[in-house]
Amino acid sequence: MSGDPYSALVRDLFADTAHAGDLPGGVTADIDAQGVRVRLSATQDEGRIKALRFRAWGCPHLIAACEHLCSRYEGRPRESLSEFRAADIMRDLSVPVEKTGRILVLEDALRSLGRRFGGGSAP
Amino acid sequence: MAKDFIYLDYAASTPTDPRVTGRMQECRKSAFANPSSNHVAGRISRATIERAAQQLAALLNVDPDTLIWTSGATESDNLGIAGAARFRSHRGKHLVTLLTEHKAVTDVFRMLEKQGFEVTWLKPDDDGRLQPATFARALREDTQLASVMHVNNETGVMQDIEAIGSICREHDVLFHVDAAQAVGKVPIDLQALPVDLLSLTAHKFYGPKGIGALYIADRPGCRVEPILFGGGQQQRIRPGTLPAELIAGLGLAAEIAEARIEADLGHLYKLRRRLWAGIRDVDGILVNGEVESGFPGILNVSVSDVEGESLLLELEPICVATGSACNSKSQEPSYVLRALGRSDLLAQSAIRFSMGRPTTGNEVDYAARRYREAVARLRDLAPAAAL
Repeated sequence: MSGDPYSALVRDLFADTAHAGDLPGGVTADIDAQGVRVRLSATQDEGRIKALRFRAWGCPHLIAACEHLCSRYEGRPRESLSEFRAADIMRDLSVPVEKTGRILVLEDALRSLGRRFGGGSAP
Repeated sequence: MAKDFIYLDYAASTPTDPRVTGRMQECRKSAFANPSSNHVAGRISRATIERAAQQLAALLNVDPDTLIWTSGATESDNLGIAGAARFRSHRGKHLVTLLTEHKAVTDVFRMLEKQGFEVTWLKPDDDGRLQPATFARALREDTQLASVMHVNNETGVMQDIEAIGSICREHDVLFHVDAAQAVGKVPIDLQALPVDLLSLTAHKFYGPKGIGALYIADRPGCRVEPILFGGGQQQRIRPGTLPAELIAGLGLAAEIAEARIEADLGHLYKLRRRLWAGIRDVDGILVNGEVESGFPGILNVSVSDVEGESLLLELEPICVATGSACNSKSQEPSYVLRALGRSDLLAQSAIRFSMGRPTTGNEVDYAARRYREAVARLRDLAPAAAL
């Protein structure tokens, strides 16, 4: 649709948030900044991310980015969390540049999660 | 073709009535000539415009000669406010208006401030209404013009135009009314109302886009300076070749509105009650404006703990308006709702449902159900930490 502020991928991810939720007993990271809130929860198994869930309060691009990120990182080595770049997901989802701050919040949440895993406190 | 959306944004614009479209198609063939031309084709165009002026004049109960055609309400507001302020600037440079006016009004006042005028910006009560006593206190010896809208485009709140206009008359202050949301929707009798200048646009009452009018009362001191130049049309107040086809459409839309204005209002009152009944039990819901009074075609609600842009997308395919600037480059909360005391977050969560002549009860029921579902889903998605 001409002038649609959301790509088809954003619409699909926003509509079907299969990774929304919490992981009781998992590692969590909460960030409240830039007018949005993000909570990531993760469990690991032998150095890999077994499950990744999110909760988010924010615009459709943020919610779609959370869903996209969770679906991509499940099953990957936990070290890969530090490789996340906001720019990549902004490109993949065609996020408007003025929303960069919100996606950076997600990047911060993911790195926080990685640090918590790295600190040895993960289940 | 089946409708692939539910339209509840009639305050933004209305579909053109098929009879109006038909009339304009006729005029495209019969009244294409320049109405300023003195040949027979030009006279046909002129007669078409005169008929439309009579139709609009009948709706407003005014003399057709008091109507100036414009491109729409924005131009009418600009001409009425800037034109009158400049014409009367020798009498004083103090102006009065409301913080909750449409941008087509507030931006004109901002421009006049830069040109040396002094503007008093009045804040309405939390229900959106301006107390006439508050208005009266703002007037000064050098006040020469005030502008207050009839029906607020975001909240549907209706101001007491009669009381405010009477105060203006007592103080010899010209009174401009932005009636873009009122004309053709609520009865307006300008013989009875103390209004000097009134702006309107056709596309808000099932007429075409691109045509509006400014009423200028025929009374001493009520004049405007032109803001456009380039010809002698319309007493040099608003030059430019008149679009007979669009004006004919406006005229017929006005005639249709006059015939059914009470029936339309009754329809809208029922729909608004039905919509509110369907969503009033949503936890944290708040009406911006009033449910029982005000223009019944608009119901504006905010809700706690829900982000507005996501709510709007979740509500698709229902077409409604939000409480933000509503584009990806700006999520600035509505200044109208902020003026009513709403927080940024509540203002951003605002949804304006606006209903019209074609709206059905089933559409309203569907919107209410989708609204409840959307709020529930977005709250479920959010982190448990409260705002």
